[in-house]
Amino acid sequence: MFDTVRQAMAWVHTGFGLVLGYVLMVVFFFGTLSVFDREIDRWAVPETRFAVQPMPSFDRVLAPVYQRLRPDPADLERIARRVTGELPDVASLPLVSLFAYTTHRDPVLLVGAEFGVPNAPLDPADDHLHAHGRAQVDPRSGAFLPENRLQIGTDFFYPMHYSLNASPAIIGYWVVGLAAMSMLAALVTGLLIHRRLLRELFTFRPHKRSQRSTLDLHNLTGVVALPFHFFFALTGLLIFAAIYLPVHDSLLRPLDRQHEVLEAAQTGLPHEPAGVPAPLASVDAMVAQAKARWAQRGIPGEVGFLTIEHMGDLNGYVSIFRAGSDRVALVGEGIHFSARTGEILHEDPAPSAVHAVSEFLTGLHLQHFRHWLLRWLYVLGGLVGCVCIATGFIFFTEKRKRQWAHHSPQSLRSVDALAVTAVTGMVLAVLGMLVANRVLPIDLPARAGWEERAFWYTWLCALLHAWVRSTALLGGAVSPAWREQCIGIAALAVLAVTLNWVTTGDHLWHTVTTGYWPVAGVDASLLAVAVIAFTAAVRLYGRGAEAASSAVEPVEASRG
Amino acid sequence: MADVAWLWLAAVGCFSGAVWLALAKPVHWAQVMSATAARRHPALVLRCLGWLALATALAACLRADAPTMAVLVWVMLLVPAALAVAMALAWRPAILRCWGAAVCLRPGSSGR
Repeated sequence: MFDTVRQAMAWVHTGFGLVLGYVLMVVFFFGTLSVFDREIDRWAVPETRFAVQPMPSFDRVLAPVYQRLRPDPADLERIARRVTGELPDVASLPLVSLFAYTTHRDPVLLVGAEFGVPNAPLDPADDHLHAHGRAQVDPRSGAFLPENRLQIGTDFFYPMHYSLNASPAIIGYWVVGLAAMSMLAALVTGLLIHRRLLRELFTFRPHKRSQRSTLDLHNLTGVVALPFHFFFALTGLLIFAAIYLPVHDSLLRPLDRQHEVLEAAQTGLPHEPAGVPAPLASVDAMVAQAKARWAQRGIPGEVGFLTIEHMGDLNGYVSIFRAGSDRVALVGEGIHFSARTGEILHEDPAPSAVHAVSEFLTGLHLQHFRHWLLRWLYVLGGLVGCVCIATGFIFFTEKRKRQWAHHSPQSLRSVDALAVTAVTGMVLAVLGMLVANRVLPIDLPARAGWEERAFWYTWLCALLHAWVRSTALLGGAVSPAWREQCIGIAALAVLAVTLNWVTTGDHLWHTVTTGYWPVAGVDASLLAVAVIAFTAAVRLYGRGAEAASSAVEPVEASRG
Repeated sequence: MADVAWLWLAAVGCFSGAVWLALAKPVHWAQVMSATAARRHPALVLRCLGWLALATALAACLRADAPTMAVLVWVMLLVPAALAVAMALAWRPAILRCWGAAVCLRPGSSGR
């Protein structure tokens, strides 16, 4: 079928790139935005624009919060379908376990809980019958944040990165996983088909014809950020390994459950509740003790994650984990206390070599660390990845333009329209959502849903626009959709910044001079995007005019 | 704030390393250096200097952060460094001339 290995590799590279490149583009772009997800949240939810808070007092602030926390209605509906009989009143469901989670970038605290369900399961093997509830809390007062606020960064852009916000999410996980696998394959095949890898490592020839310079840029962005591309695709797969290879919940399920019981016996942390009610000792005293233990071990730190298992039971225990702000690994150094007496039951030992490597690999992807330079370098890495994928598409269409304009004009138009939608259209969708976030009335019912609709509809409009305008391709020109959408990006970005100013009073000068970097950073980035998009549009117009004046006989667009 | 100084040093080291490694390739050396200087191409020296600068950058990263973090910062700093060199070579190769000149002015070769 192929004469050389290189030809075969090129076929794999192009095939994977073309089929899953669109997904990869989404994954890279939203991954890049997720580096600053908390900051985007501050921009989108002005009520949360206050200083970062440490984990608040459990006894004074959080205990009443959990009393008010209720299961998520959607989750209750799902549970109701898995059990016999009617579910009892929501308020009567007992809280059996809880968690609180914060990082060094969070003013608000994420709290969550599992509620016991007394009904019998329809399937006797259904051994995890809990209703879940979660909420964002102002740690200064313990007040819940209003429910109709969408934290666009953490609740929309970040899930978009790993699940495409698909419903059910498992479809998204698998598509993204396939894309990550194909990314690894594309990287390896890309290296194999590169003719002059080392000799042209630093080569970019913008003045050559567009096919050459596009390929240069594709190679350059792929090779210089190769470690980033490789490790992020790999660690992304590792983080979700249990979803892609769910042996612990299928083939090895009995072994997995037995391991849980054995581990509980070894650590002394009860696996099952005793069924005997017991009061909760002061959790604040446990937190103080945990912090003292960390300081003793030479690793003073803040609490990042706190959980209580078997709440209100004799076997209840409190686990306190140190935040990983000062390292690559995430939360760790857990210390576990008896909930009834406040005594230390178990202290996590230092991680084994395998565990440490695993923590490093997941930590480098999930980035809880306090290192702003590295964070920005990740943004650069992500954007370089986007450029690499986008130039791959452009090279593909440029190379086949002449030929396809005769043979299969519709295919050419589809590929190009999808490329425009995946590049400029995606930015437009994000900006459309940010604009909607600022203009929708604050008390609009299901406001979050409208913000999401604004995102999807803007993207759909971008696709239609790109398709309609792609007829120009058949004449050998670059689709005008590129430059028109660039103008749209510039306009929407400026509009978003202006709307933030008008609706909250936090204009860029104010946020910069008061040092409120989360919002200042988002605004400044939006303005930078506007400038870049405008410059790109001007250049594309220039090129379009040039091409028009020197155009040879255009291909007849009769089939288009 | 001494960490910031070390990170600056790391950034400069990565960039310089990338420049010297690029200049070690004849085509880029010819692009950057003037016709007279371009005649002699000290490829080996440039390559050694490049790797030395990258090693210095890694050492600076290790001074600024814990080793696991430092390695990440170093690897990621190589991205803007290499990109900047490629862009400079494409549009303004002359601004990289002083890196090449520094090699030509080595005590051993200054007399020629």
